[in-house]
Amino acid sequence: MENLVLGIGITALAGALATVAGAAEDTESDIGSQGDPNSQVQLAPQMGYIHRIYNKAVSGEPPAYGLWCALGAGIAWALMSIQINAVLAIVLGSAIAVFVQGVYATTAYLGRTASLAKFEQPVYIDIIKSVTTVTMAHAFVAIFTTVAMCQLMIVALGHPFPLPLLALVWGIALGAAGSATGNPFYGKERQYQEQKFGAGVPISASGNIVRYAEAGQRSSLDNGWFASKLGGPASGICFGLIVFLELWRTVLFEQIGAGWGAIIAGVVLILVFMVIDRYIETWARKTYGPYVAETEEAAS
Amino acid sequence: MSALGGGAGGGEGMNPTATIVGLVIMLIALAATFVVGGMSAALVLVGIIIGGVLVGFGVHFVPVGGAPAAMGQAPGIATGVAMLAAGAGLAGLFGGAWAAELGLAVALAGGAVGGGLMMAITCMFVNIVYVFGMGIPSASGKVDKDPITGDTFPAYKSQGTEGHGLPFISYVGGVIGGALGGLGGTLIYLQLLFLYEEMLPAMLNASAEEILPVAVSLAGIFAIGMFLVNAVIAAYNITGTIEGPHDPKFKRFPRAIVGAAIASAVCGLVAILIVAV
Repeated sequence: MENLVLGIGITALAGALATVAGAAEDTESDIGSQGDPNSQVQLAPQMGYIHRIYNKAVSGEPPAYGLWCALGAGIAWALMSIQINAVLAIVLGSAIAVFVQGVYATTAYLGRTASLAKFEQPVYIDIIKSVTTVTMAHAFVAIFTTVAMCQLMIVALGHPFPLPLLALVWGIALGAAGSATGNPFYGKERQYQEQKFGAGVPISASGNIVRYAEAGQRSSLDNGWFASKLGGPASGICFGLIVFLELWRTVLFEQIGAGWGAIIAGVVLILVFMVIDRYIETWARKTYGPYVAETEEAAS
Repeated sequence: MSALGGGAGGGEGMNPTATIVGLVIMLIALAATFVVGGMSAALVLVGIIIGGVLVGFGVHFVPVGGAPAAMGQAPGIATGVAMLAAGAGLAGLFGGAWAAELGLAVALAGGAVGGGLMMAITCMFVNIVYVFGMGIPSASGKVDKDPITGDTFPAYKSQGTEGHGLPFISYVGGVIGGALGGLGGTLIYLQLLFLYEEMLPAMLNASAEEILPVAVSLAGIFAIGMFLVNAVIAAYNITGTIEGPHDPKFKRFPRAIVGAAIASAVCGLVAILIVAV
């Protein structure tokens, strides 16, 4: 019973860490413009729209976070093996991983922006100075929480994988959940804020991203504020739920039916989410109705 | 069409010469494994090939819209094919590896459910963001009617786009894809773990308890590596974006199955040679 209570406590803590990790990951990728919407940041100057948006698509978010989390965890693991306190080891590991992230971010910005030279897109040094550190700070939060969560899974819940391997697995899953949930909000709602709400961006508008703010040109730093309104928290809850429910069903139900209890609990959870998704889909169809063409809207 | 990542694909058919050459390579890998490690190693390789094929097949179910989906220009999840499949499959591998000591059936089912659950939650949040954050209902660009629910799509599709959001058929496809990925990844891991646990004690002259961390780490690294190999092969077969099982591109899966089987055989041979030579 004591073990079960401890297990549930650890599950809750790991879920909370994962929630913070998901939110920080999406906010970081939106400030640095790393996800799929970055295709528009890269495209804009080619269509004649010069901008001051950061441009650091190092790679897709899942492999990038797989690398950074595995790196942070690997260093932490090495430090722990020479008897350094676990929390300090994870902080140091995450800090070094963040420097690697910073190097990737800088070279990606310089390289990607320099490749747009023939479209007259300048490389802004002040952007490197102001934005890179902000993405690094968010990346630190995401890496630290993910590695700490993995450490909990190993030490308190007894998962057999070594720390760096587990951090690679959850780093990739973190990037996948964060990019899947947060990218549309950043891509459609932020970069194409001028387009009509409630409809997809017409392909003909590609590249015409919003480049001006209330005063002066738009800075990527403001994208962090925007992402934290929905994309970041949604990514956080998404990744938090994935981690929490994966652990919860195992900790609570694995003892039932020689392991089959956890499988049945998982299937029931999948069916519950399927019903919720279907409800949301039908709610949207009923509430928003069919698409109304722009010309008709203007006439009414 | 290039703006949507469609158009220039690798065609639909199978190249007979390439297929035969590939199958010969697979048979050579199987024969080499049998010669070096005996029947048990050859059976492990067969398990790895089945696991790889499951991963390659599963990726075709995952609805991936890539960059256009991030602007609501195409349906699916706004990220890369291989990446999303890897995220789901590896989450499944986490569960499967955890349940390894409970037996093959429970571990495999645990891997499948873990991958399916990850996709079920992620796909739901994609629709939450589309519906509540962007005010956009789901609409498929490839079919006029959802094969499961019967919902019609043309009226809901925004002008100038190929559709948007995740229709229910894509949601179900995502869950199936995640489950197949988790199942395949876990099968590869368990086959290698079984082999390493058997061979490593004699090779390193150590007890079974002492080599367990090494065996788990090695099997985990190879399982993740082979998972990514098969996911990327399937992603090349898909070329860009796919909506799920109802997408015409889904019919390309036999080619990915052959590719995944060959790649898994060669990768599996390397993983087995580490302990069998």
